[in-house]
Amino acid sequence: MSLTARDVTKRFGGLTALSRVSLEIMPGEVHGLIGPNGSGKTTLLNLLSGYYRPDAGTIHMVQQDITGASVQQRARLGVARTFQKPRLLPTLSVLDNAMIGGWLDARAGFLATAFMLPQAGMDERELRRRAEELLHGVGLSHAIGRRANLLEHAEQRFLEIARGLAQRPRFILLDEPAGGLTPAEIDYLGGVIRVMAESGVGVLLVEHHTDFVFRVSDRVTTLDVGAVIKHGTPEQVKRDPDVIRVYLGA
Amino acid sequence: MSVSNRSWAILAVIAVLFTLPWWSGDLYKVHLAALICTYWVLISGLNLVVGYSGQLSIGHVGLLAIGAYCFAILAGTYGLHPAVAIAASGTLCALCGLVLGLPSLRLPGFYFAMATLAFALIVTEITLAQGNLTGGGVGLSVPGFPPPFDSPRGSYWLILAIAAVVTWLTWNVARHTWGRGLVAVRDSVVTAQAVGVPVFRAKLTVFVFSGFTAGLAGALFAVLQSYITPDTFVFDLGLFFFVCIIIGGRGHMLGPAIGTIVLTALPEMVAPLAKLGNFFYGLLLLVVVLLVPEGIGHVFQVLIERFRSARGERHGVKPDLERLSKAIQGGRAIK
Repeated sequence: MSLTARDVTKRFGGLTALSRVSLEIMPGEVHGLIGPNGSGKTTLLNLLSGYYRPDAGTIHMVQQDITGASVQQRARLGVARTFQKPRLLPTLSVLDNAMIGGWLDARAGFLATAFMLPQAGMDERELRRRAEELLHGVGLSHAIGRRANLLEHAEQRFLEIARGLAQRPRFILLDEPAGGLTPAEIDYLGGVIRVMAESGVGVLLVEHHTDFVFRVSDRVTTLDVGAVIKHGTPEQVKRDPDVIRVYLGA
Repeated sequence: MSVSNRSWAILAVIAVLFTLPWWSGDLYKVHLAALICTYWVLISGLNLVVGYSGQLSIGHVGLLAIGAYCFAILAGTYGLHPAVAIAASGTLCALCGLVLGLPSLRLPGFYFAMATLAFALIVTEITLAQGNLTGGGVGLSVPGFPPPFDSPRGSYWLILAIAAVVTWLTWNVARHTWGRGLVAVRDSVVTAQAVGVPVFRAKLTVFVFSGFTAGLAGALFAVLQSYITPDTFVFDLGLFFFVCIIIGGRGHMLGPAIGTIVLTALPEMVAPLAKLGNFFYGLLLLVVVLLVPEGIGHVFQVLIERFRSARGERHGVKPDLERLSKAIQGGRAIK
C-alpha cells in the first residue's frame, strides 16, 4: 500500500545527488525527510513525483513499478505535491487554483465543455464543492474569490496544500511547507498535516525545520550528501550520534 | 458583477448588435461590423491559443487564407452549397492546425512563433504557385451567401450568428476546467503536470480548435471580400490578430474583443489614422505594452477588484481542522 523508493541513485553530470537511497511512505503516516542543504531531499521528492528519472533503482506504488511513469500518470495514481516556492496561477482566483487540482476528475472532454453538455456542468459543480470545502478547511474562507497573486505567503502555501488535496491523493509530498511561516502559522500547518494523515493520506514532509519535523512526524529519514544516515522514529533519530554530528551540529 | 447583471449586459449587447443594420445609417458600417465579427471568429479561437495556453502563434493568417480559398474553390469553382463549403473550410483548417501543431507545439515559445510565421509564408507561396486551383496572382472571385443572406444586412446577420456561437463555445472552454488547465500550461508547466494536465495534448487540442475557427473566418472573410488574391492575406494581417489579443490582455475575452473592434474600426472611421496604417497599430501596441503590459482586460479586472475590496481585506490562515478532515474523507469516499 506504500509509495516506495528502492535503492535509487541520481546523478547530475559528475555529481551524485543521491546514492542507493530507499524510503517508504505508508498511507496514514507523516514521514519526515530531513538533511542539510544539498543532501538530496528535493531530488528525492522529484524522483517520487516523476519530475526526474533515477539512474538506478525503482519507484513503486502499491506494488506497481512506476519508475518510468510521467508526472501526470503518477498524479492519476494518486501522488500530489507542493513546491518549495509556491507555484500558483497568479491571474486566477483562489477557488480556481484549488479547482485545478480536480483536473483528472473532470470527465467532460474539450468538445463536451465547449458545448456545455450536462457532464461539464456536473464536473464543475462537483469540483467547486470539493474545492470550497477544502478551502474552508485550510482556513482560506475569506479569500475564496481573491486573485492568487494578492495572497500573503502563508495563504499561498495553504492554497497549494488545498490544491494538492483537491486531487484526492493517496500520497502528498510537501516540499519545505514551513518555509517563511511564522511560529503560529507553523502550528496551524502541523494541525493540517496531522489531519491529512489521520484521514488516510500518506504525507512526505521535506523540511529543514527539524523541531517541526520531529514534532509532527511518525517516522523520520535523515539524508547526508545523498545517502540515508538514519531512519526511525523521531526519538531514535533525534538521539542518533551521526545525525547530531552532521545535521544538528551539536 | 452578479449573474443577473451579467445576463442583462449580454442581452443588451446582443440587442444592440442585432439591430445594428437599422441604426448604423449606411451600409458601409454594416460591412465593417460584419468584418469585425469575421475577425472575431478567428481571434476568439486564437485567443485560447495565445491568451490562455500562451502559445505565440503569429501565422493564423495562413489558416485564414486556406479557409478562404477552400470556400472560394468549393462554392465557386465546384458550385457546392455555401453551407457545405463553410463547414469544409473549418474542417480543412482544423486538419491543417493538427499537421502544423503536431511538430511545432513541442518547440519553446519563440521557435513556435517562427514555425507559424514560416507556415503563413509557405501558404502565400502555395496560393501563388498552384495557379490552376487558386487563380495564382490573378485570384478568384467568391460567390455570396444564398438567400436570405445575400444582402449586406443578411450577410451581417449570418456572420453575427456564427460569431455568437463561436464566442459561446470559447467562453465555455475558457471559464471551466479546460480554461484553468490552459492557464496552468501558460503560467506554470510544472503545476499543470503536477495536477495531471496533459500539456502537449491540451495545447494541440486548442490549436486544432483555433484552426477550425480560422477556417470558418476564412470562408466568411472571402465572401466579404468577394474577390481574393494572395495579396489579400498579407502577413500584417496575422500580426494584426496577434496584436488584438496582446492589447486586449492575455487570459481575458472582453479585452481581445474590444481590441478587435477598436483596431478594425478606428482606422476605417478616422481617415487620418488610415493613412498611418501599420504605424497606428505599432504606436498603439507600444503605448499598451509600456503603460498596461497586461492589456485592456486587466485594467477592467483591477477596477472591479478596487470596487470590491473597498469592503476591506482580511489576511491570514486559520484552519478549521474538523471541516478539513470531513472534506478530505468526503472526497475520498467518492473515489
